[in-house]
Amino acid sequence: MSDTKNPADLNLALAAATCALLGIGATEPVAAAEADTWSFDSSLLYYGESDDRVQDVSAAISAQRKFDDERVLGLSLTADTLTGASASGAIALDRPQTFTSPSGKATYTTQAGDVPLDDTFKDTRFALNASWTQPLARLYTVSGGLGFSTEYDYTHIGANLSLARDFNKRNTTVSAGLAWSQDDIDPVGGAPLPLAQMLDVGQGGNKAGSDSKDVLDFLVGLTQVLNRTTVLRINYSYSDASGYLNDPYKILSVVDPVTGDTLTRTPTAGLQGPTGVYRYENRPDSRVKQSLYAEMKHSFGAPVLRVAYRFMTDDWGIDSNTLETSLRWPLGGSSYIEPQLRYYTQSEADFYRANLVAGQPLPQYASADFRLGNFDATTVGVKFGHKTAGGNEWSTRLEYYQQTGDIPSDQIIGNQANRPQYPDLSAVIVQFGYRFGLR
Amino acid sequence: MSVDPRPISLVYEQDHWVGRFVAMACPCEVLIDAPSSETAQTLARAIANVAWRVEQKFSRYRSDSVVHAINQAAGEATAVDGETTQLLDFAATLTRLSAGRFDITSGVLRRAWTFDGGSTVPSQRQIDDLMPLVGWDKVVWQRPYLTLQPGMQIDFGGIGKEYAVDSAAKLAGSLAPEVSCLVNFGGDIVVRAPAGSEREWSVGVERYDQSGVAREIIKLRRGALATSGDSRRFVLKDGRRYSHILDARTGWPIPDAPRSVTVAADTCTQAGTLTTLAMLQGAGAAEFLRTSGCKFWLQ
Repeated sequence: MSDTKNPADLNLALAAATCALLGIGATEPVAAAEADTWSFDSSLLYYGESDDRVQDVSAAISAQRKFDDERVLGLSLTADTLTGASASGAIALDRPQTFTSPSGKATYTTQAGDVPLDDTFKDTRFALNASWTQPLARLYTVSGGLGFSTEYDYTHIGANLSLARDFNKRNTTVSAGLAWSQDDIDPVGGAPLPLAQMLDVGQGGNKAGSDSKDVLDFLVGLTQVLNRTTVLRINYSYSDASGYLNDPYKILSVVDPVTGDTLTRTPTAGLQGPTGVYRYENRPDSRVKQSLYAEMKHSFGAPVLRVAYRFMTDDWGIDSNTLETSLRWPLGGSSYIEPQLRYYTQSEADFYRANLVAGQPLPQYASADFRLGNFDATTVGVKFGHKTAGGNEWSTRLEYYQQTGDIPSDQIIGNQANRPQYPDLSAVIVQFGYRFGLR
Repeated sequence: MSVDPRPISLVYEQDHWVGRFVAMACPCEVLIDAPSSETAQTLARAIANVAWRVEQKFSRYRSDSVVHAINQAAGEATAVDGETTQLLDFAATLTRLSAGRFDITSGVLRRAWTFDGGSTVPSQRQIDDLMPLVGWDKVVWQRPYLTLQPGMQIDFGGIGKEYAVDSAAKLAGSLAPEVSCLVNFGGDIVVRAPAGSEREWSVGVERYDQSGVAREIIKLRRGALATSGDSRRFVLKDGRRYSHILDARTGWPIPDAPRSVTVAADTCTQAGTLTTLAMLQGAGAAEFLRTSGCKFWLQ
């Protein structure tokens, strides 16, 4: 062959001979590519609450390396920066309120009529995760992972292990997993003593050092292919957290039993300090959560509908329900648009209270953290994705989040009825994603 | 033609239908991205019928085949049909393009050579005795009459299975033009897909030294993949490894050929013949494939 022809000409001659043999005029060109050995998923997310509250910018990249025989290494790195203010738990008043900041070294003031926000809230978080998945015997898959994250006042380490088994020609998968994590919390200014009163700048005695918590999670799941267009997934999880479960920066106002106004307080002469009586929250030191999750995906030809429901209940008295749906609609051959809708509703924790009432004995547990209160949240969003000719995919997602809560009417005292109570919240989420592969 | 009694199994796996059957002494499968089981059934059946038909017509092992009739003619002319003519012409072209290295009459050399991984090598005398029976230049090919010298034989090894795959894909395209499907006859593979199809089929290229372990995963949307290897079929002599692919000019196998060559091309016939031609280059296989401009994987 090389004696007479160069291989490129030979290939052309061969193509012509093949067409003659098969009785076809021309062939369509082959489209073959090596599967990527590394695939990357990168994203940049912005989360911004209204009224200059929490803003979060998060950059994440995850990498997956596939080896022979379905063994997969996963790595991910996330960096977050949080800024802005969040509701402290104190109630709004008709007068300005001054608070000692969490560090115990300064004060900040909330204007009359405003819901108090702690605006010293700033943090940067880095998280690193690694996982390994591989088949074990013919129908089993085992997967394990390690995680580490750190932020200014928080260090988290975690480990997990799961095992899945396929049945029924791989139409049924049953899995079970165990995860353990330990979080060390070193709050700015120390962890407040339970229900301790907020003191003047420079005065200690109401705070201890750092603390920690452990969380053990157990999960069982079932994935069932119902027919060629429908897949059902059901997960049950049991989570047991113990240790320091307080939010060290959340407080409660101590109010007059008749007027409902926060008791006034005068800082010690020569010192700056709170102008009202506020106490740090205290939660139980254990929490058991159980949740049930069901998801159904159904394809109507190319469009895919996803409906998911989650029920969560815990021994703090919180029950929550989440209903989520999305519809992925193809646009042409390589793009899609996906409207998304999510509704969340939760009941309050047993120890949730809008404030503490002066003259009554202190309860064992109390928190005015609005996230433990009664609220509903709706998220509407849309995602647009496009697959490039090279097989990479970029996407962009835009979401709007609206949260509305209320305080039980029997907890509203006197003047409180005329003021903003549960601070409603709205937020915008914008995310850009790019998925690509490398060999 | 009689209906072949061999079974076809058809199951739905994850997101496609899989039809399995045996033809040409190897496991065959067809993966079908069709919405209905009826379409999948029709395609699997039609594709299996192509495999069985080609096997019956061109297998040198079957006494009712065209090839058998040609090989048994003992110096007499045999009249062949259009399809056989096309295959013979294609084989003749390959012989010309390979400057005589490839030749469909070289099968008689297997009487001297046993490729079982051992080191038994025939004597030059044994080979010399067979060489008068090897060479397309010794046959008389006056379409539609083929006349072999007495004792000569032909076989369509290296062409027939690939041709069957392409023929099956062509038929699938006419039966269900909107369906993407993958035809795999013993590792010779073609994906037939409608224009603009995004459906990717993952094909694992087995490691030459470890059966069942993929060395490479190739995503195929359209076109063909063929692999030629000698994982178990070779001879070791004086530390050199001789592939089972014989050079028809010398009667000797090609030394230092790659263990395995996989080529992607528009058609399976083209991919398959490129792997054979590359193997025939021995140590020059990689250079040959590079300059031919095709996409390939060597082990």
